[in-house]
Amino acid sequence: MPVAYFLVLSALLFSIGVYGVLARQHAVLVLLSVELMLNAANINLVAFSAMLGEAGVPGQVFALFVIAVAAAEVGVGLAIVILIYRNRRSVDIDEMSLMKW
Amino acid sequence: MGLNTPEIELLGIAPEIALVVGALFILIVDAIIGEGGNKWHLWILSTIALGVSIFLAVQAWGSNELQMGDMIAVDGFAAFVKITLAVFALLTVWLSRSYLHRDGIEESEFYGLLLFAVAGMMLMASAADLIMVFLALETFSLALYVLVGFRRTSLTGQESAMKYFLLGAFSSTFLLLGIAFVYGAIGSTQMYGSSAAGAGAQGIATALVSLPAGEFTLLVIATGLLVVGLGFKVAAVPFHMWTPDAYQGAPSPVTGFMAAATKLAGFAALIRLLDAILFPLRGDWRPLVIGIAVLTMVVGSVLAVVQEDLKRLLAYSSIAHAGFVFTGIIASNDRGVSGSLFYLATYGITVLGAFAVIAVLGGRDERRTTVDDFRGLFYESPLLAGALTLFLLSLAGVPATVGFVGKLVVFGAAVEAGYSWLVVVGVLASAVAAFFYLKVLVVMYMQERQEGAEPATSGYGGLATGVIGLAALATVALGLYWSPLIDFAERATFFFSAGG
Amino acid sequence: MADTYLQVIFWAFFALMAIAGIRVVTTRNVIHAALYLVATLLGAASMYVLLYAEFVAWVQVLVYVGAVVVLMLFGLMLTRAPIGSANFDNNQRLVGAVCAGLLFAVTSFIMVGAFEGQEIDFTGTEGTKVQSIGEAIFSIYVLPFEIVSVLLLAALVGAVVISRRDEGRVDS
Repeated sequence: MPVAYFLVLSALLFSIGVYGVLARQHAVLVLLSVELMLNAANINLVAFSAMLGEAGVPGQVFALFVIAVAAAEVGVGLAIVILIYRNRRSVDIDEMSLMKW
Repeated sequence: MGLNTPEIELLGIAPEIALVVGALFILIVDAIIGEGGNKWHLWILSTIALGVSIFLAVQAWGSNELQMGDMIAVDGFAAFVKITLAVFALLTVWLSRSYLHRDGIEESEFYGLLLFAVAGMMLMASAADLIMVFLALETFSLALYVLVGFRRTSLTGQESAMKYFLLGAFSSTFLLLGIAFVYGAIGSTQMYGSSAAGAGAQGIATALVSLPAGEFTLLVIATGLLVVGLGFKVAAVPFHMWTPDAYQGAPSPVTGFMAAATKLAGFAALIRLLDAILFPLRGDWRPLVIGIAVLTMVVGSVLAVVQEDLKRLLAYSSIAHAGFVFTGIIASNDRGVSGSLFYLATYGITVLGAFAVIAVLGGRDERRTTVDDFRGLFYESPLLAGALTLFLLSLAGVPATVGFVGKLVVFGAAVEAGYSWLVVVGVLASAVAAFFYLKVLVVMYMQERQEGAEPATSGYGGLATGVIGLAALATVALGLYWSPLIDFAERATFFFSAGG
Repeated sequence: MADTYLQVIFWAFFALMAIAGIRVVTTRNVIHAALYLVATLLGAASMYVLLYAEFVAWVQVLVYVGAVVVLMLFGLMLTRAPIGSANFDNNQRLVGAVCAGLLFAVTSFIMVGAFEGQEIDFTGTEGTKVQSIGEAIFSIYVLPFEIVSVLLLAALVGAVVISRRDEGRVDS
């Protein structure tokens, strides 16, 4: 099966994620879009790993590290989201405009 | 069977180990001692950890090898960056002690996270594998997201943390995609590539030699993505949107630390990648980086002019300074590399000093950070006004300060490499920048103090004064007698394999 | 022949992931967005199985679907996001769509060009053994592994610090 199939899938997911980051207002929804992008990169890594066959172990190891990092990122991110919600009763990014320019 | 473990040599990562152990120790000691007291043990322990770290980093000076399964490069470049980072962190710790104590938010976690962040930044400087770059970047970023939002009760602080976090997470996916592309292009994420990791281990550097020309398209695209991902961290235009918000809302010591250390760490990885590893591809990455450099210098300087808040103003100034460092990278000759290092080290000291003054004058909860709040400062506390003047003049690049020497070195390297027009753009941007530094000075010296304004300096410790004094001393001393530091930067060479 | 079956499976999951992915960023219900993300992540896990990377697939299911998405749902519930439909989009939708479309076109064009004719050979492979992944992690990747643990610790400390409650004052 051509590697390119998987790469196109990855590109599609990454682009969807970029759209989500640009178009969403709710902080958690932006975070969901970032997760899509991380997964896109991971699909790339695993596809390349399969392409390399026996020598492709590092790609999978890297993918595992990325999953761990993503989990840590989500933990910190949600802590910040909840902190903000406690004081503002809203996590709308566009409403966060105490600072401009 | 049996594991083919790499040779464990701890000297290369000893500075990082010292910091992580120190951070754990601080968290545990604080848990045992508990609440109450004035928590003086926190900054003492942090100082000890950083001191040990500097000592260990100095021990590695002069090494030239890849260690830990080729994951890190132990070379002069890494040692220089590590020592500089630890010095920045020392100043930050002392300043933070005064700041946090005054605001009543001193917690052990602040120091723990700060040390974790420095450890991540140090790993970034010596990373010899793109996996290491990604993990090191995430380590210090996660710690910094929290430090930025450390004033939990401040709405601006929370907002800064949120924006910094979302844009930081967004940008690191670009870095990750770039790394995945490199992996696809050469089948490895190693930067150098050597025989130590097993037969046939390729790296970017070896792939550039062995692959036929014209097969680099993917590698060039990947380089672009890496530059985007790291460009976010060093606040290069057009990836700078988070900078003013994060800098304004973060506690001033953290802002100073970000301006000095995050920039240094991000640029360390960029310099190693572009000027050492991808040097053969310089024809391909230069147009992109030149575009970023010009935009960064111009946009940073111009937008700073309209700022009302001093922290925001310095945020835009830090963007402009990132542009000046890029000119040294574009030159990609020896003087460019050592010049960039010199520039980053001296800029860091100066900007830390400036934010120390702001931390002291901002008062509790940082209510007084607009330029107007500094009106007539000279008549109230001439020493602080004098120190801030010195820092601003150095940032503007006035002769007899270290900022002037820094600009001279990076611009000199760019001229040597034949980019005189880029230097002209840089000088013009500096001229615009001088305008807004002068604006602050005029406010401080020429205008009367507002009636009924709070006293400028209330309850800051002697440590903060010491930081300001040290930074001011370094700014002048290095401005007049710079050759030792330049000499040091020049000997901070990259790893090179004995064969090539 | 086996390859034909694999291709059918691939395109089926491709369609699933594409639809679910687009729904994640367009749905007007936050809970649905998280559940569509689950579908996308499970799709990715099946892609890993297809690529003979079973271990990564299982970690994906356990950590991502099991932990991360549940955490997200907690986040949504704790911030009392409106469960019904509401508008969560800003007015940058067109800009976003154009950017994303361009990015997709350019990236896939480059990738298809760069990897033209490169096949993944599934015949006679048993996939990557967990053993070899373990060996790699604890031999040459031992330092990155340690750094991940430091990173997780830093994230843990950070999350605790930032979600700690302060009694009393909130200033503007």
